[in-house]
Amino acid sequence: MNTFQEIWFLFRKELTLEFRQKYAISGILLYVFSTIFVVYTSTFEAGPKQWNILFWIIVLFASVNTAAKSFVQESGTRQLYYYTLVNPVAIIISKMLYNTLLLLALNFLAYGVFSLVLGSPVRDLQLFFIAIFLASLGFSITFTFISAISSKADNSASLMAILGFPIVIPILMELIVVSQNAMPGSFDSAINEDIMILLAIDLMLGGAALMLFPFLWRD
Amino acid sequence: MEKKLWWKLLCVPILMYVIIVGLSVPLSPGITSMSQYTATTGQTFTARVTTYNTFHTKAKEVKARLRKDTSLFIAAQNVKVLDDNNIEVTFLIPAFMPSSKEQERFSLDIDNDFDGYGTLPGKFVIIQSSIDSLQGAQVWKNTNFGDLSERGTSFPFRGLLFETIRNTFFHVPLWFAMLFLFIGATWNSFMYLRTQDQDHDRRAEVMTMVGLVFGLLGIVTGMLWAKSTWGTYWTWKEIKLNMTAIALLIYFAYFVLRNAFDDFEKRARISAVYNMFAFVAAMILINVIPRMTDSLHPGSGGNPAFGSEDMDNTLRMVFYPAIIGWTLLGYWIATIYYRALNIEEKYLERE
Repeated sequence: MNTFQEIWFLFRKELTLEFRQKYAISGILLYVFSTIFVVYTSTFEAGPKQWNILFWIIVLFASVNTAAKSFVQESGTRQLYYYTLVNPVAIIISKMLYNTLLLLALNFLAYGVFSLVLGSPVRDLQLFFIAIFLASLGFSITFTFISAISSKADNSASLMAILGFPIVIPILMELIVVSQNAMPGSFDSAINEDIMILLAIDLMLGGAALMLFPFLWRD
Repeated sequence: MEKKLWWKLLCVPILMYVIIVGLSVPLSPGITSMSQYTATTGQTFTARVTTYNTFHTKAKEVKARLRKDTSLFIAAQNVKVLDDNNIEVTFLIPAFMPSSKEQERFSLDIDNDFDGYGTLPGKFVIIQSSIDSLQGAQVWKNTNFGDLSERGTSFPFRGLLFETIRNTFFHVPLWFAMLFLFIGATWNSFMYLRTQDQDHDRRAEVMTMVGLVFGLLGIVTGMLWAKSTWGTYWTWKEIKLNMTAIALLIYFAYFVLRNAFDDFEKRARISAVYNMFAFVAAMILINVIPRMTDSLHPGSGGNPAFGSEDMDNTLRMVFYPAIIGWTLLGYWIATIYYRALNIEEKYLERE
């Protein structure tokens, strides 16, 4: 089996597991709904700027919770079995792909619920969806890799936040710049440059993660 | 290299040179304020000028001129020395200006044979009612001022910065030293992953630790500088402050991660992986993001450090040795810390 086939099989395995347990997706959905409900009940008047920041904060925490499970969901012995069968790079890529897909679904859903409950100030939907896509990619790459690191320690949940949040800040800052531009009242002609920088940050972190993961999995 | 003595012997005189020369070379003469900044054409204009680091009473002759560029200027009609740092200048402003605008900005040059010359760039405004720039160009050339006097070795006088320009030899090179130490830590992490040699892990740890301390010093010196120039220790509007603070948080997390493991081999391997990943993320924070936004720092919105117009050769003479000196000192501290950790380990083994 070559690496691409391995990735595909592992990716399908992740999906199958998810559909059987429906643990991650339902937990995250509950999280998103209840957070948005809290925002709604606080009768908080959100302008475009506040709406934007609130949206990304909710998405950020939902992403951490989603990706934190990447390496702790299955038992250590079963993971060791995978590593004997396939290339470790295939494992991390398949997990990143799966998390990207999950986060994409989650973010679009969060956007849907958000605009249903609070209304949507988004002017340029296309740009906003590009931001959501790049956010899913970036969060998935960073948090999957960080969860691979923190899963090696005992108190992995707190370590996940300590290691993950500072690293994800450059992505978050670029995201807020890009998505702010999709709101009314702000227009930046150099927005394509920001999108390229965001993509470049995603790819740089992704490249570093892929290069380093083969050293990480061995116990 | 680290067991040799020569680079330590090099480090000490370099840093002494940086501290002594950096703190003792005087600033160039400069103009801090004028009693009045605006004039109209045809006026006989008199103003009191306060200068800095000058000794007008010791000079034979004090000259002043209003200047648009190197060839268009008028000399002062009369310069009266009040004391060492105060003079009164009188200009006969010509009826026409060498400009087609209603308002034009001029620079004021003060020159004496004892201190050399000082400049207040582009702050003096002349207002004109009738515009004839051709005639103006003739009138403004028609004075003899002579050459500017030589000034001795001195650091440039900049409004706002004043004496704090010397912080260039501490604030900026400390960041460079931090960067080099982090590069060294990343290299040792890389070598650890290749060789599984605990020695490399220890080197990576000490370099990260010292790099972090230098980064904190960089932030502290920067905060002091910000207090005197921007008027506040910390501002959320300045992207570089916040990005570097976050970059340091990333490296703080490295030590939290190290403490999370009991097993030596596991700790070394996982923290080496994290250290390399942290370097990529920190470089994005320090070098990529600040280039895209406006910043209060010099050379903002592009080059993150000083542009060529911000440095002059006298500053460079101290600035480049400062980078070498602080980096060597950082490496020196790291080697001592490394040896201390080795001794501690041997001591624990013996017990």
